[in-house]
Amino acid sequence: MQRLVDLAVSAVLLAGLYAAMAYGLGLVYGVLRVVNLAHAGVIMAGAYAGWVLHRALGLDPYLSLPLVVAGSFVLGVGVYVLLVRHLPRGAAGGPQSLLLLFGVWLVLRNVAYLLFTGDDHVIRTGYSTRAVPFLGTWLPVNRLAVFGIAVAVPLALHLLLRHTYAGRAIRAVAQNADSCTLVGIDVERVYALTFGLGTALAGLAGLLSATLFSFNPAFGSSELLKSFVVVVLGGLGSIAGTGVAALILASVEAYSILVLPAYLTSAVGFVMLVVVLVLRPGGLFGQRVLG
Amino acid sequence: MTPRPAVLRLFLAATLLLGSPAAARAQGGGGARPVKIGATLPLTGAEARIGGFFKEGYDLAFEQANARGGLQVGGTKVPVQLLLQDDTSTQATAVSLADRLINSDRVDFLLGTYASHLVQAQSGVAEQNRVPYVNGGGGATDIYRRGYKYLFGLIAPVELLGDTLMSWIDAEQKAGRLPRPARIALLWENTAHGKDFRKGVSDFVGKRKDAYQILVDDSFELSGKDFSALLGKVKAAGVDLFLVDAHLPDYITMHRQYIGAAMCNKAESYGARGSEKAAVDALGQANVDYVLSSVWWNAQLARTNPQAKVFVDAFQARYHKEPEWFQALAYESARALFTAIEQAGTLDRKAVRDRLAALKIPSLLPGGTLEFPADHGQQAQNTFVVQQNMPDGTAPIVFPPEVATAKGVAPNPRCPR
Repeated sequence: MQRLVDLAVSAVLLAGLYAAMAYGLGLVYGVLRVVNLAHAGVIMAGAYAGWVLHRALGLDPYLSLPLVVAGSFVLGVGVYVLLVRHLPRGAAGGPQSLLLLFGVWLVLRNVAYLLFTGDDHVIRTGYSTRAVPFLGTWLPVNRLAVFGIAVAVPLALHLLLRHTYAGRAIRAVAQNADSCTLVGIDVERVYALTFGLGTALAGLAGLLSATLFSFNPAFGSSELLKSFVVVVLGGLGSIAGTGVAALILASVEAYSILVLPAYLTSAVGFVMLVVVLVLRPGGLFGQRVLG
Repeated sequence: MTPRPAVLRLFLAATLLLGSPAAARAQGGGGARPVKIGATLPLTGAEARIGGFFKEGYDLAFEQANARGGLQVGGTKVPVQLLLQDDTSTQATAVSLADRLINSDRVDFLLGTYASHLVQAQSGVAEQNRVPYVNGGGGATDIYRRGYKYLFGLIAPVELLGDTLMSWIDAEQKAGRLPRPARIALLWENTAHGKDFRKGVSDFVGKRKDAYQILVDDSFELSGKDFSALLGKVKAAGVDLFLVDAHLPDYITMHRQYIGAAMCNKAESYGARGSEKAAVDALGQANVDYVLSSVWWNAQLARTNPQAKVFVDAFQARYHKEPEWFQALAYESARALFTAIEQAGTLDRKAVRDRLAALKIPSLLPGGTLEFPADHGQQAQNTFVVQQNMPDGTAPIVFPPEVATAKGVAPNPRCPR
């Protein structure tokens, strides 16, 4: 019984991390219909930004969150204005956007190699290995913090999308960009804002990951894959679905260790992805747009 | 008067023949042409850090050889030149650059790159072209099971890593400091490296079934993010010995979660990982105290091994820091090739290959002798050294006894009694 409780706790904490990584990818796809491969590069950049702030200024990684999020937002808006804006919209822009954003990822990665070499880095604080007892098991403080932030992010997104003009504009553009143009919404501005928000969430995920794992310039690839699985499982463009899908994926991975070798547990998620794509191509929670 | 075509053709043919690299090789060291040795290293990309370490070892070996006037080839001192390329940590580049070094740059011999997957791919090119290929960066035994004749490896198999670690544990058990039978959790990354480690430990346990029981035997994905479920399995099994084979990032991630889950075992090891500064920085000294690691070489060997002392002194004079096993293996690879060339007295590849196959020289490696046994696919079988992290930040060698610089500590004092 205790073993099942341990696994449930592991799954919930892991789900928090997966959700944090996937929100940005889901948001950008939901509105722009662009698969942002640069998401992986920004996750890596967020990790390094937190590390630099911790090392150079002694800033606690959680205190540096606003700086990293703001920096990532500016980076995202810049990438949109300089590059993504020039792509054709809709299905026609699919391959181009994939190539372009893959290129951005490669540039970010190689800049990191140039600046930081291929060495592994970590952010260590006084509480990096601290844990608190809970139901006969131990909860690492960092994982709890990541989980708390992962819960707070969709709530903040929900409030933004429901109760602000910019949020309502984002939802409207996600549903019908042409009609938005007719009623005077500056669609390009909304796209830039959304891309910036998605990138900011990737930066946030990178910093949170850096509090848990070591990282190097190649960091972000496996995070991007997990994010894909979560976003597709949850239904492309569904923020709430992303959170639930993260919990499902993490639970399946955690409990599969009871019947599978540990190295196969992460493959279970990809099998699930294929099954869902075959049986429910719109994802488990349909094709709701930012609902 | 113009020369007749037949004479001209004869003259051109003779010029080409005499000028060809094959002819130059066959002439041995008769000319002042430097011995050209090609190599690639991962100077950028994922393995860039270690590629840089290997470069330091190669550079030092070449500088020393040329400072002595070069290699003694056929009665003449000939300078030795390193043609080094960056393989960017990718197999395709490592292969194409090796081909270019052999067929375009016309190198005489090759030194190896770093990382098993790169050596595995690149050594095929050397074998096809019959170019002796000496490497200190490919440890997976699969590389040496292909029956290659021109491939020589200085890095001992990872199976021996597991075996050496178990030998220390066995000595502690016999001294009554570890329980008998000892229950083991054996976790290994799902790579050739991990499988070799598992085989080393399992084979040892197979011979001592009365003294050891493996209760958890599981592998994990490289660069994993969450080991909590796997660690839960270990915790539930109630083992005495926690033996893992992991690369540095996984060691850091797993040990962080291990400490966070309030776990502690009578002996803890992450294979070749343990005393790295990055790990101490990431985890804190107190959390890595008494972790055991089993490595191919350590600078402390200089206290008992004259060859190691010569190398460590020269390295410190050149780079003002202490060498790690990466630089030592690279340096020794180059030295082994130089020795074989001098013993052969010619640049003929077949003759040098034969000298490498028969080589037996004093070495900086543990055991003090380097040879490439044919029954192990020409992979050196030198033993490992076991180190243990101590609370004062040092990691002395605790095994084998003949090179130990301190006594090991067991059971792990970090665990509550």
